[in-house]
Amino acid sequence: MTSSTRAHVLQYAAMLLLAAFFLFPLVYMYASSFKPDALVLSDADSFAGFLPTPFVGLENYADAIERASVFRSFLNSMIISGGIVVLGLVVNSLLGYTLARLRFRGRTLLLAAVIALIIVPFEALAVPLLYLSALFGWLDTYHVQILPFVANPLFIYLFYTFFLNVPAEIEEAARIDGAGPVRTFVSVVAPLARPAYATVAILGFLFSWGQFLWPVMVTRGIDVRPLALGIGTFKTTPPVQWGDIMAYGALMTLPLLVVFLLFQRYFVQGVASSGVKG
Amino acid sequence: MTMFRTRRPFAIVAPVVLALVAGACNGGGGAAATCDGEIDEGTLTMFAHEGSEADAYRAAIDGFNAGPGEELGVTVELTMIPEGQYTDQINAAAAAGDLPDVIDFDGPNMANLAWGGHLISIEDCISDELRGNVLPSLIEQGTYAGTLYSVGSFDSGLGLWAWRSALEEVDARIPSGPDDAWTAEELEGILGDLQEAGYEHPLDTKFWYGSQGEWFSYAFTPILWSAGTGLIDRDDYQSADGVLNADASVAALSTFQRWVDDGLIDADAADDSNFLQKESPISWVGHWMYGPYQEAAGDDLVLLPLPDFGNGSRTGMGSWAWGVTSAAADPDAAWAVIDYLMSDDVILAITEVNGAVPGTTSAIGQSPNHASGGDLELYVTQLEGAPDLAVPRPVTPAYPNMTQVFRGVIDDIVRGADPQQTLDEAVAAIDADIEDNEGYPPPE
Amino acid sequence: MTTPVGSVAPAPPATGRGWRQGEARTAWLLSAPALLGLAAFVVAPFVLAVVFSFTNQRLISPLPTRFIGIDNYLSTFGDPAFWRGFVNNVIFVGIVVPVQTGLALFLAVLVNSKIRARVAFRTVYFLPVVTVMATAAVTWTLLLNPSGLVNAVMGVLSAGTFSPDWLGSTTYALPAIMLVSIWQGTGFQMIILLAALQDVPEELYEAAELDGAGAWRKFRSVTLPGIRNGLIFVVTVTTILAFRLFDQVWIMPQIPGGPLDATRTMMLHLVETGFGEQAIGRASAVAVIFFVLVLAVTLVQRRFIREEAGG
Repeated sequence: MTSSTRAHVLQYAAMLLLAAFFLFPLVYMYASSFKPDALVLSDADSFAGFLPTPFVGLENYADAIERASVFRSFLNSMIISGGIVVLGLVVNSLLGYTLARLRFRGRTLLLAAVIALIIVPFEALAVPLLYLSALFGWLDTYHVQILPFVANPLFIYLFYTFFLNVPAEIEEAARIDGAGPVRTFVSVVAPLARPAYATVAILGFLFSWGQFLWPVMVTRGIDVRPLALGIGTFKTTPPVQWGDIMAYGALMTLPLLVVFLLFQRYFVQGVASSGVKG
Repeated sequence: MTMFRTRRPFAIVAPVVLALVAGACNGGGGAAATCDGEIDEGTLTMFAHEGSEADAYRAAIDGFNAGPGEELGVTVELTMIPEGQYTDQINAAAAAGDLPDVIDFDGPNMANLAWGGHLISIEDCISDELRGNVLPSLIEQGTYAGTLYSVGSFDSGLGLWAWRSALEEVDARIPSGPDDAWTAEELEGILGDLQEAGYEHPLDTKFWYGSQGEWFSYAFTPILWSAGTGLIDRDDYQSADGVLNADASVAALSTFQRWVDDGLIDADAADDSNFLQKESPISWVGHWMYGPYQEAAGDDLVLLPLPDFGNGSRTGMGSWAWGVTSAAADPDAAWAVIDYLMSDDVILAITEVNGAVPGTTSAIGQSPNHASGGDLELYVTQLEGAPDLAVPRPVTPAYPNMTQVFRGVIDDIVRGADPQQTLDEAVAAIDADIEDNEGYPPPE
Repeated sequence: MTTPVGSVAPAPPATGRGWRQGEARTAWLLSAPALLGLAAFVVAPFVLAVVFSFTNQRLISPLPTRFIGIDNYLSTFGDPAFWRGFVNNVIFVGIVVPVQTGLALFLAVLVNSKIRARVAFRTVYFLPVVTVMATAAVTWTLLLNPSGLVNAVMGVLSAGTFSPDWLGSTTYALPAIMLVSIWQGTGFQMIILLAALQDVPEELYEAAELDGAGAWRKFRSVTLPGIRNGLIFVVTVTTILAFRLFDQVWIMPQIPGGPLDATRTMMLHLVETGFGEQAIGRASAVAVIFFVLVLAVTLVQRRFIREEAGG
């Protein structure tokens, strides 16, 4: 009894310590967003860094919103990220499923090629893509910020890994019932891979939300400019307004937090809990 | 049909696309358009950086549209782009052939854009009257290969701010102008005295601006100019050898390195509090700190020239400037906008917000701070002494690379690297880049 | 011993009947959108980049682009800054991949256990992942200042002996970057491993317990094989993403890659060459070299992993 309680206590302690580690920079950021600029730095060396005092209310936020046209760029980011995520979930899962469950010539090679493409960094593609986009007259639009990122090798690989874990028996059952590959996928397999969809949705949203290099290259005015570029409004000739920057960072993080909190319960669902016995 | 088999067509298509694309994007606008005196009615597009003076810009363009623009039948559509990534966005737009009619840009980038064919000459656009009124420094900054491509509504000032009382505390001589600036040795002595008097790291140099990009080049190249050298041989801009890595350069930067090693420089500062709270009573920074410094020190604030490393006190200059792009269908209309932005009222409205030095002599006369006897008179003296007192950063298309290299040089030397070796490596990098680009042959 | 679910080898199970005929056609049809996207937006520009790597293409230039053969490759291979980046990348990967994967696995196991508030813990551990790296980097830069919070804690833990100038020291700058990367990346890997853990059927654990296995034995013979695919994914992806390190070394040190190239990476070299120097041709060569290098590492990795499966 005692040793298991002790193990329990130790476990809690470890988890709390780790939680502190993962949390403290975020607490500092949010606390700083409520402080006057000068104190953001000077409080960084003490625990005052975690306290939003002296509280200047939403002053930094108001300032950040006003200076960086936050409403418009927020809308743009929602459209762009939404487009990338929704289209990406469909497109990437289809290929992931194909690679995991269907047999056809060239499957192994295709899988290897997809994994290899994960290596290609976007920075290497930016300038060629810029030239191509200019050629097709796609500059300064929504679609030039959405389409290049719909098909994503990393997410395809993630879907592939998850679909591998779907036991053959489930598919067998569907096949015996007379379902074709598409029906099997839509009604049987996909619902079981909810963790994959949730993860890809969140990560896809996160990645596109923070995208900086590409929007810099292809957007000009505020019309289709996403949220991430707004931070440049504060990187002017000094003095630097740290309070505003922290507020802006906090504003950028909030939607992602919301998306995460909405989807996170799907993480727990796995085949094991769906009641399938071998 | 495996995926790899379908790759071969790409190998054929690619060079074709490359030729198409490269041909379309390299060398923006072949036609050397220029002002011909005729203004056509229409709409102009314009980019400007969104910095501290953004509202003043917007107000100015509104003023143009309602005033001269109305009369001429010209309307300007202004798009503001955040300052933090402005240069990158301009470069991307230039590369994609997507520039508007009028743009502003950070002065030293002018040559790169002009060489690429993205700016047109404004020699035929600018009136003699305006040309005579503009600060010599702005003419220096805006002239590439003998042709004027840009003018700015304002220029920057760089010097040493100091708390007078701290200087008096150690009986330091207070220079009256660039001619009797402190020598490097003299400054070192004063800093030593201040250190003994209790100011642990008396000289503030804003190293934390480092990631700002241009600060290290802007602030510390004057050290080389003051030592009689510089970044590159200005006769033909073909090589940095013998200039950047000259003995005088090594000596000057070694001195600077010693100041860091001896703790005379506050190298760890992450904000302005050291000067504001009189912990580092001398600050090596530009005009933008006048406001906060004034507020903190009041009458105790004094502006001094940068130290003399052997060849006289030198200082930096250069800031945002306007240009007409080769995409402009009607350069005269584009110039009309810039001309308006160079009028005294507009200049003063802008400089009131960003604290910079007004770009014309007439505007300076109307600015108490900059006119004779004003707090910032030194800036004007220096800028009027361009290119001898205030030296423009090298006007060459090689500059973007040079500034990246030099930024590394300063950071490495401040962190203890061997100056001679660091400078030699920098020279190699700069020369290699110039060679790769066939010496950046000037147009025509 | 029963074959653990999830250890399915790459080829899908042979069903023997049903779909065989139309399977290939269906496969290509379903894959078409993704393949089109990859081809148009990843493969095509990359091929273009490869072509550029043999030219002197510059971002802004009036000179026509010329083919210059392998000059860009030669100058990159001869550039000590590039090799410094390569070495830093290798060190970074060598430490971050095992540490982050281990920590993620540890967290996944903890969160998977039946303790209270595990959803709260799981959320907290994932929070850094949803923080945009640019924002996180700026925040960490302030915290890592010599007189910042990290040193305040370090000072307490080490009784005042250890509080280095993290981002200003050639020894501690890269470890600082590693710390921030691990801080941000662990949550993502944890989630993957957590999902994999939950796919391991209870019966296997029960069976092992009946055989008299203790916690560690259960972990080694049930858990690890059971989460095999998840682990492979995590290690492969973390390795690749670690090689692509860029944001932190661009934002956090005083100048990118500093101090004295201590945090220089290959991706930083690519960006500085392409956008700083504006030498698109040479930057493309760096990209190709980078791709080949990391591909080689990934292939070697997969060979090892596969071999252990067969043995």
